[in-house]
Amino acid sequence: MKPRLGFFDFTGCEGCQLEVINFEIELVELLELVDIVNFREAMTEKGEDYEIAFIDGAITTESDISRIKEIREQAKIVVAMGACASLGGVNCLKNFRPMEENLKIVYGDCAGYYNTIPARPVSAVVPVEYELPGCPMNRYEFLKLAKALLLGKKFELPNYPVCVECKMVGNVCVFDKGGFCLGPVTRAGCSAICVTTGRHCWGCRGLVDDPNVNSEKEILQKHGLTVDDILNQFRIFNGYLEVSK
Amino acid sequence: MENRIIEKQNMDVFVNNLINSDAEVVGAKRKDGKYAFGKLADATELCLDYDLALYPPKSYLLPPKETLIKFELGEELEAEPVVEAERVILFGVHPYDIKAIELLDVAFSGTNPDINYLSRRAKVTIIGIDCLNPNPNAFCASLGTATTDTGFDLMLTDIGASYVVAIGSSEGEELLGKYAVTREATQSELVQRDEQRQKALAKYKVALSMSAEDLPELLDKSWDSPVFKEKSEKCLSCGSCVMVCPTCFCFDVQDDIALNLKQGERYRQWDGCMLVDFALVAGGENFRRDSETRFRHRMYRKGKYLWERYGKLGCVGCGRCASACLAEIASPAETFNTLKEERRQHD
Repeated sequence: MKPRLGFFDFTGCEGCQLEVINFEIELVELLELVDIVNFREAMTEKGEDYEIAFIDGAITTESDISRIKEIREQAKIVVAMGACASLGGVNCLKNFRPMEENLKIVYGDCAGYYNTIPARPVSAVVPVEYELPGCPMNRYEFLKLAKALLLGKKFELPNYPVCVECKMVGNVCVFDKGGFCLGPVTRAGCSAICVTTGRHCWGCRGLVDDPNVNSEKEILQKHGLTVDDILNQFRIFNGYLEVSK
Repeated sequence: MENRIIEKQNMDVFVNNLINSDAEVVGAKRKDGKYAFGKLADATELCLDYDLALYPPKSYLLPPKETLIKFELGEELEAEPVVEAERVILFGVHPYDIKAIELLDVAFSGTNPDINYLSRRAKVTIIGIDCLNPNPNAFCASLGTATTDTGFDLMLTDIGASYVVAIGSSEGEELLGKYAVTREATQSELVQRDEQRQKALAKYKVALSMSAEDLPELLDKSWDSPVFKEKSEKCLSCGSCVMVCPTCFCFDVQDDIALNLKQGERYRQWDGCMLVDFALVAGGENFRRDSETRFRHRMYRKGKYLWERYGKLGCVGCGRCASACLAEIASPAETFNTLKEERRQHD
């Protein structure tokens, strides 16, 4: 019997689910090997007998907590897809402001009808077997995980920083161009796509296992960023981590 | 060694003739205010007076990632080696990079010849050029890598109105005869070449405070030096120093499988001893889990281990690592000189 997959969205833009749908040809091949029983963004039918749950989005409400716990009860394997589910992502920007203020900014006079809690990654609420960080997640990394699960092989994220991939594609360092970059402490696996296309690394894949954050902060300061600037940079995707506090 | 002259106004013709031949011509081009090797579409893109290309030409011999084997799983495993090699002319390679390629040649041949590397190498022609404007981080003059008499097919030296061309191989001679307008070099032009080389040697800003041959012994006595910890505290373990290094040749081998779970490939990609998981082995043990031991290992590799193994230093003094290191700790010359100073005070 084929493994049964479910895709579930929490707080996020659902772009990581779109990445799966964007596969087209590979998706057809994947469906030879698995059954997708729950995928609101892609299909009408809804089954609750999934074994592997792919979670898109961060946990940001009380009801999110009970819902993710139910999914965890059902699924043998829980996978956090993307920066929001695996890191908390941009949702955690609100954590640096009182929740009442957030509600007022977003809902104005209707603020009283809603609730919100500090945003957090899925792993802050329930155990998670695998994380596929990135904004959006790298869909080829998603496939790599799918193949590893099907073959019973070990799956690991790269544990080196973006600098390695930047050097492999032959980029000029962002710092050499007068800019700044979170690449030296950010987990690789994106082929340094942002730097390659002329920007800098924002840290959307989270930090490597053992980042030298002090050294990175010193370097950023040397390149003209204030302590506040630096915190603001880390908070964009990594607000849930100590590095941003 | 025979020497010829190419007048400067004839250089573009030579380069363009090569570009129009059956080979890919690679040279230093401008990139975001720096220089980088890349495929040339026209002679006007080529910079021959560059100080340092961001990356060495190593990737034309050892690509960042390459397939080694294609396989198909089934009742019987089928596997085919993959060896891809195109004809490449590296145009305008500095002596230190040529010295680095000589080290790679030794490392990838010997007792365990690497067919992928050697196939590429056999199709690579090297046209060198003396570096007359050294990079501020370079210290080739201290390592004997600022000039070279070996490792090239042709070697150019800019003497003002023209280039002296030393012929290093019959292939180089053939290219020159077929594609370039040359004439015999006069004695005074050869003297000018020596003067240019001498002038360039005086321009190096970084120097070793000892002779290169003393490095293995110095390192032998420096295992417990505090410098490794001091410097490595700033290390990002980002691998930039080893990724831009012309002599680093370590790689990791992995398998990848297609979605049909049958066909797959085994590939290798660059790896480096400054990365956290480099010395991680089965069972979870990591022989160099802290940045101090990784930092020390790299210095030993550059100044001692490869010397003992291949009779060549693992560093050619190009200065790329020092230029790429955001934490400003990567220069081997700086560490070696600190160690030397420690010894001096100790003795």
